[in-house]
Amino acid sequence: MKFLIIAKKELIDITRDRRTLIMMIVLPFVLIPGLFGVVYTIQSQQAEKATEQHLKISFFGQEYAPDLYQAFAELDKVIILDQIPTDSVETYIQDEYLDAAIYVNRDYQKSIDQNKQAQIIIKFKGTDSFGITRDLIKSVLSIKENQIINKRMNELNLKPDIVKAYQVDYKDVASVQEKLGKIAGGFLPYFFIIFGFMGAMYPALDLGAGEKERGTLETILSSPATRLDVVLGKFLVVMLAAFITAFIALGGMYFGIQTFPDLEPWVLEIVNEMLTLKNIALIMSLILPISAFFSALLLGLSIYAKSFKEAQSIVGPLNIAIIFPALIGTLPGIELNAVTSLIPILNVSLASKDIIAGTINPWYMMEVYVSLIIFAGLAILWCVNWFNRESTIFRN
Amino acid sequence: MIKVENVTKEFPLSRKQRKELGDQYKMTKKICAVDNISFECKPGRIFGLLGPNGAGKTTTLRMIATMLKPSSGSIDVSGYDTVDRGQNVREQIGFMTGQTALYDRLTPTEMVKYIADLYGMKKEDFSKRKDYLFDVLDMNSFSDRRISRLSTGMKQKTSIARTMIHDPSVMVFDEPTSGLDVMTSRAIIDLIRDCRKEGKTVIFSSHRMGEVNQLCDDISIIYNGKLFFNDTLDKFKSEMSKPTFEEEFIYRVGE
Repeated sequence: MKFLIIAKKELIDITRDRRTLIMMIVLPFVLIPGLFGVVYTIQSQQAEKATEQHLKISFFGQEYAPDLYQAFAELDKVIILDQIPTDSVETYIQDEYLDAAIYVNRDYQKSIDQNKQAQIIIKFKGTDSFGITRDLIKSVLSIKENQIINKRMNELNLKPDIVKAYQVDYKDVASVQEKLGKIAGGFLPYFFIIFGFMGAMYPALDLGAGEKERGTLETILSSPATRLDVVLGKFLVVMLAAFITAFIALGGMYFGIQTFPDLEPWVLEIVNEMLTLKNIALIMSLILPISAFFSALLLGLSIYAKSFKEAQSIVGPLNIAIIFPALIGTLPGIELNAVTSLIPILNVSLASKDIIAGTINPWYMMEVYVSLIIFAGLAILWCVNWFNRESTIFRN
Repeated sequence: MIKVENVTKEFPLSRKQRKELGDQYKMTKKICAVDNISFECKPGRIFGLLGPNGAGKTTTLRMIATMLKPSSGSIDVSGYDTVDRGQNVREQIGFMTGQTALYDRLTPTEMVKYIADLYGMKKEDFSKRKDYLFDVLDMNSFSDRRISRLSTGMKQKTSIARTMIHDPSVMVFDEPTSGLDVMTSRAIIDLIRDCRKEGKTVIFSSHRMGEVNQLCDDISIIYNGKLFFNDTLDKFKSEMSKPTFEEEFIYRVGE
């Protein structure tokens, strides 16, 4: 049981290190709610600004389509600018001095009267983040177009239904929890996987390469503890750090949502339904083996490195390897199935998504556990083997 | 008792290392750090392992402490082979070199307790032994201060206490007085002398020839991985062609 003595000491050691504590506790607990808050506030401010904003439109051909001009001019949120030189319209739109320009040609009324299509050209800037300009113009044109169609139908003694063969009524059977779960559930695991990895990273570097650099590794190697004891003791602490960090990240998220001032009560209710004690426990049961996998991997690489700095440069690219599958899990359309449940990290991301949405398949969940335990076991074996090699321990 | 018999230690060389070492190592894939050395350290005697930096001292000491395995030959510590019975060997020895540092975030008491726990010491035995060592080494005033805040001398005393806490029968000291003031050095030298009195086997490695002269009963001089003197200190002195011990050492190594 010497590995427990080592684990106890390593735990005391890392909890006395301010950097580890910041990485493990402060960052996930403060950063996630903070990030949510900042993103939400900026987004709502922008959306509010965009909806309150008056659109500046220039209408060319007012004399050919006075009724259409009137339809735009009557809108409260539209300011019609008449003095725009024709050749500068695009520059004005580019520079956001003008939101859109509407062009109607001299044949407009003739085409309408002859039951033909009248040509209208709209110039606008497609990078308008909320699509407000386009939506507003579209809605005005749509109302106007329906009026013209109805008039034409009346003249031809036809019912408007004649051009509408279907009356489609979309009825969504997915619950709000399911829909929100699929959207939010995609991002939640992404956060706690990343934080779990980050939580393991610093202790792994410190207890591997850091010990080597400081010369304390030889002190412990000269004791009666076997190399297996040393690896297991360190591994347990790194895994615990990863687990705690991921747990705090999850807690931070929950706490952040609960204390959010502008959140609609129904959203809060759904979040509480999604993040039940059972769901949190299920997610944590996935985090445990994935933390073991991260920890063994990071510890092995850290032991190989000659110094803390070298370990950082070795582990750096691994961040991308972790982020990538976690990110794939957030994409819509990627679902947990017999194959994806075998891929580490991606399977945790997808399974968490299904747990939150309440649609988890127990067979796939079992597959995820088996896959994670096998991968974690292999990573631990690799780490122990690595630690037993003289060329790794005394690489310099 | 330590018996080192025909021990050789080779390390594989990477392409980069071969390049760095020059033409001489271009064709070889290994470097010999210790080349067929044999010596014996007896209980109740202090054995001095001397040699300049890079001579192979640390590699030899690491093999004795089971951290490295000999490429050939064998090492026996208190009746246990270092390869087959590594854990038994480590239970017998107290190992202190320049590379066996302390945990900065622990206190001397915690550090010593940690090592004692790994040796499976009983609470009462630990308490008695710790009190003895902390008194002898005058460590009580800083026993609960973080190691990172201690002076070099205080750290070295903690290292000695850590090495001796389990009362090992074999002691390995590599440069134990390096960088220390006269008072601290004296305390450590006295402690090593006590080890001899208690019948322990002691390997002492130092660059301070005065200390070697004061302490050692037997000496071995290692250079470029080869042992070229292995006998009693008195024998070495009787064969000296230079006026001082230090000059003789430089002369022999230079040859």
